[in-house]
Amino acid sequence: MLAAPDQQAVTNKTKAGILLFIFCCLLSTTRLVFEAPKPAHIQRDDISTRSDQRFAALKANLPANGVVGYIGEIGDSATPDYYLTQYALAPLVVDLSPNHSIVVGNFPFAPPAQIPQNLRLVKDFGKGVMLLSSKEAN
Amino acid sequence: MLILACGLCAALGYLAIASIWPQKNSTLSALLIRLSLTPAFGLGIFSAIFWLMPLRGDAHVVAVDASLLGVLGFAYAVRRSHATKENTHPLSSRAKMNCPDSPGNSSQSRDLAFASHSLNQSFSSDGPDINAPEWIARVLMACFGMALIAALYQATVRVIAHPHGEGWDAFAIWNLHARFLFLGGAHWRGGFNSMIPWSHPDYPLLLPAAIAHLWSYLGHDDPLAPAMVGLIFTFSALALLVSSLAWLRGRNVAMLGGLALSSTPFFVEQGTSQYADVPLSFFILATFVLLHMARSQNHNNQNLAAMMLSGTAASFAAWTKNEGLLFLSALLVAQVWAAISSSRQQDSSSELAGKWRPFAYFVLGAAPLLCLIAWFKHTIAVRGDLLSSPSIMIQKILTPTRYWIILQWFAKELVRFGNWWIIPGTMAMLAFSLLSLRRRKPDSSPLLHLSILTLILTLAGYFAIYLITPRDLYWHLRFSLNRLFLQLWPSAIFLFFLFVGRQAFAEISNGAIAPKRETVKKFTRSP
Repeated sequence: MLAAPDQQAVTNKTKAGILLFIFCCLLSTTRLVFEAPKPAHIQRDDISTRSDQRFAALKANLPANGVVGYIGEIGDSATPDYYLTQYALAPLVVDLSPNHSIVVGNFPFAPPAQIPQNLRLVKDFGKGVMLLSSKEAN
Repeated sequence: MLILACGLCAALGYLAIASIWPQKNSTLSALLIRLSLTPAFGLGIFSAIFWLMPLRGDAHVVAVDASLLGVLGFAYAVRRSHATKENTHPLSSRAKMNCPDSPGNSSQSRDLAFASHSLNQSFSSDGPDINAPEWIARVLMACFGMALIAALYQATVRVIAHPHGEGWDAFAIWNLHARFLFLGGAHWRGGFNSMIPWSHPDYPLLLPAAIAHLWSYLGHDDPLAPAMVGLIFTFSALALLVSSLAWLRGRNVAMLGGLALSSTPFFVEQGTSQYADVPLSFFILATFVLLHMARSQNHNNQNLAAMMLSGTAASFAAWTKNEGLLFLSALLVAQVWAAISSSRQQDSSSELAGKWRPFAYFVLGAAPLLCLIAWFKHTIAVRGDLLSSPSIMIQKILTPTRYWIILQWFAKELVRFGNWWIIPGTMAMLAFSLLSLRRRKPDSSPLLHLSILTLILTLAGYFAIYLITPRDLYWHLRFSLNRLFLQLWPSAIFLFFLFVGRQAFAEISNGAIAPKRETVKKFTRSP
């Protein structure tokens, strides 16, 4: 059945709309492919090495649950470092404060110039991970 | 063990859906819709079980899963036998009332005629309802296939590169909560206190508890579990969108919808980032799909069952993120408004009750999870960080520049949303609708209006939160607005193609739309 001229024009417009839409989608799909990490050069992120692996030895020396304090470096990586410490030591709660009987020290880039006066070093686990305790708690 | 856990999870999801909503002789699209819902519903049930485990004393999680599986299996068998009776006995009577007379007019021949029409309905729901040119159907299918492969490739590579998720929220919120639940034992509550407010201890626990449940099978906190959960939600959302559009509007519209979602880079990126926004977007989409499925069902019981499942999906949304609670509230308001509006036009009390019954079933479906959420919010969760003192909030509400800033950001995000390349997805959809829509009175489906109203109310809620946020407004908008839009994106695509799809393809057919489903529905409608 032949369509009326105006109806045919509308139909062609719709077809054009569909093709245009497909074109836009395929452009975006191209981006998906080209911006994906290349399988041959995939570099896995370092979350595991920055958290679980670094703190494994320390975790074995801490209580299974409760709250510990935290001191760390200052700078751009301070917050992610703290979050990764909490992630590694869960279910222990890591409070961003040195005012606890047990305190975790996290200094991945450089050792601290000075440990806060109310704390003493219990053990250095290497890679900037330290176990400290409050002098008052003894 | 992970395969066993996934199998149990899927079985629980399927049986829960099928025991509420048994469907016999369903089409391929209907089956796909159910299968798309299955893993996510299973994960939702997994999370609820894990959360309720402390109440079960020392019972092992596997024993609890197996018991629930038995209960749901029994419920499914009972429902199925009832459904079979319903489908078998009324067949003759329906056929007698509705079938045109066939030669001999025997009961057998009428049943055969009815069965033949049912079969026809079954296929017509899968294929396009229209006579779209074959080459368009092929091009659409091929392009969707390419986009799907690209999305799968991107997602897989990203999961390999970022096994712990991408971005802070994955390990600072969702996986951290999962670790507290899994490793904390009897002391798991310790992780949900105000000492670490940045981990948002008030966030609901669908994702963390489901991951912790999976870890219980593995015996350790393997990052594979959250990565897999992310992939499941991402591709379930895509499958649900395609299958539901195929059911409601035909295969070509389904391909367009699927193409739009799988070509959205931000959706695929976020799906593998182990954030909760894509899972939330899945449950919001599932709520809308089931609402529309409920309307499309012929049988009243099927309709109410779909409404009940829609309520469950909405409550899963609320159990996923706080924004899900906002969405559920918006949907309840929209439904009450719609029911009141239509109640004014009803004369008899039975018609009035009929208008409110679906809403009652929706609430019934949502109720169990809402009780769980209320318990969590009351006993565990600390106060959220988005509320400040009333005087400060009033001061922010009375600051006009905040409105202007938020409006500007909403408008900008609407244009550039999704990280599309060169032409934004929203612009492509706008162009498509401009070229496709006919100049006629727009579709006035009340359900479509209700769905759009819900989205608008949810967006208004997002706007209000930005208005009173105690954080720096620019910072907050910069780091969250695109994810809020993402939560609604699959549903926006679904509703867009539900509306535009009908009109666009109505034109291609040059008025030759075969009203197959309507015809068959009329033919098969219960007396």
